[in-house]
Amino acid sequence: MSARTLRMTLTVMSVLGVGLATYLTYIHYAGIKPACGVNGGSCEIVQTSKYSHLVGVPVALIGLIGYVLILGSLLAPEEERWRLVTAVLILGGFGFSVYLTYREVFTLEKICEYCVSSAILLTLMLPLSLWRFLRGDGAMPATSAAAGEERAAPLGSTS
Amino acid sequence: MPVSKVQDEGDLTRKQRREQARAERKAAEEAAAAGDARRRRLTQLGGALVVVVVAIVVILIATGGGGSKPSTGGVGNGKHEKSKTVKEAVATVEREIGGVAQNGNVLGSPAAPVTIAYFGDLECPICQEFTVGAEGSEGALPQLIQKWVRAGKVKIEYRSLSTATGNAERGGSEPEGTFNRQQSAALAAGKQNKGWYYIELFYHLQGKEDSGYVTEKYIQELAEATPGLNLSTWQAERNNQAWQAQLSTDAQEANNNGFTGTPSFLIGKTGGAMKKYEYSSLTDPSGFNEAIEKALKA
Repeated sequence: MSARTLRMTLTVMSVLGVGLATYLTYIHYAGIKPACGVNGGSCEIVQTSKYSHLVGVPVALIGLIGYVLILGSLLAPEEERWRLVTAVLILGGFGFSVYLTYREVFTLEKICEYCVSSAILLTLMLPLSLWRFLRGDGAMPATSAAAGEERAAPLGSTS
Repeated sequence: MPVSKVQDEGDLTRKQRREQARAERKAAEEAAAAGDARRRRLTQLGGALVVVVVAIVVILIATGGGGSKPSTGGVGNGKHEKSKTVKEAVATVEREIGGVAQNGNVLGSPAAPVTIAYFGDLECPICQEFTVGAEGSEGALPQLIQKWVRAGKVKIEYRSLSTATGNAERGGSEPEGTFNRQQSAALAAGKQNKGWYYIELFYHLQGKEDSGYVTEKYIQELAEATPGLNLSTWQAERNNQAWQAQLSTDAQEANNNGFTGTPSFLIGKTGGAMKKYEYSSLTDPSGFNEAIEKALKA
């Protein structure tokens, strides 16, 4: 997978995450019940449980902020430090998602489709972001001075 | 001519060897640099991972640790804890609704100008949030009772809607008919105008949803704890077919209003059209207050 495709894939996924978290944040502040496909009130139980807030802040809002930061780091210049920021943010989001899923499954014993969707998104994004960071910009055309210093020649060139 | 060619080839070979050696050196340096970079990146990620794990553990501990849902007591608990919890719950319920008129499933004066229909499932934890409270916040219900019901302006009808109880017929783990048994036990207490004591006690002592704690023994013990309830009369009333009819009516009305979750609410002028009320909070009563004020002016 080329660096461009990898970055684009992560960007699309984070946009989906922003959409998901925006909906959950909106219904939280608008006081609307979530539209749940299956399981009836399970979603609502999760969304209104005591675990839907962390130190008084709705977890939906925390998720929205997290996804926006991830998206921002993906739109930043293609530099190692930003790839590190993306990976760390996604790692943090994944960890938080693990905690929330644990609460759903073992404490509330209810599943919220939106939370599961977010958990799946972050689970897919995590290995991609780690791979992107760990491999450097090896598969990336040297588009900047920094990239040129770090890496030899653009893809497809001969020496 | 042949000698010169051999010299050229010898020079070329030496040149090629030098280039090859240079290339190998460069490759080795690049490999070393790449290895260093990878190690540095792995160290950075390792550090981030440690921070994330520590943060999750802190959050887990701060939000109540362990895996199972925090117990809210339950009549079936150990003897010492049981007597303490039930005693406290009865005292709280007495404080909240003691002295307020009760009639069947209705709390409040029959002449109250506004009626709230509260659709609930006695095992529903969100109903508990409304009825009792959550995270140190008092539920909206006791505040509404204090402000409106005690003032004779609002009466609250408790209606049944099966959502949280894990009856076997709904794919849950509890015995078939659990929902009907627990809800009709409350309605039977209502025959003695103690129904709201039973309902409130159920929520205050609520156990883990769909865990099978609502046994016959549990239902009986709640009745024993219900202030002023004549147990033999209550027991006889439990078999009244009217309760099944009431549960069916409640379920039908919930269905007509599109209610799929509990708690759900209808608010309106007594005897008039009731409107669905979509709550924004179950602990802050301000939304309910606005809806009541609107119904009072209607």
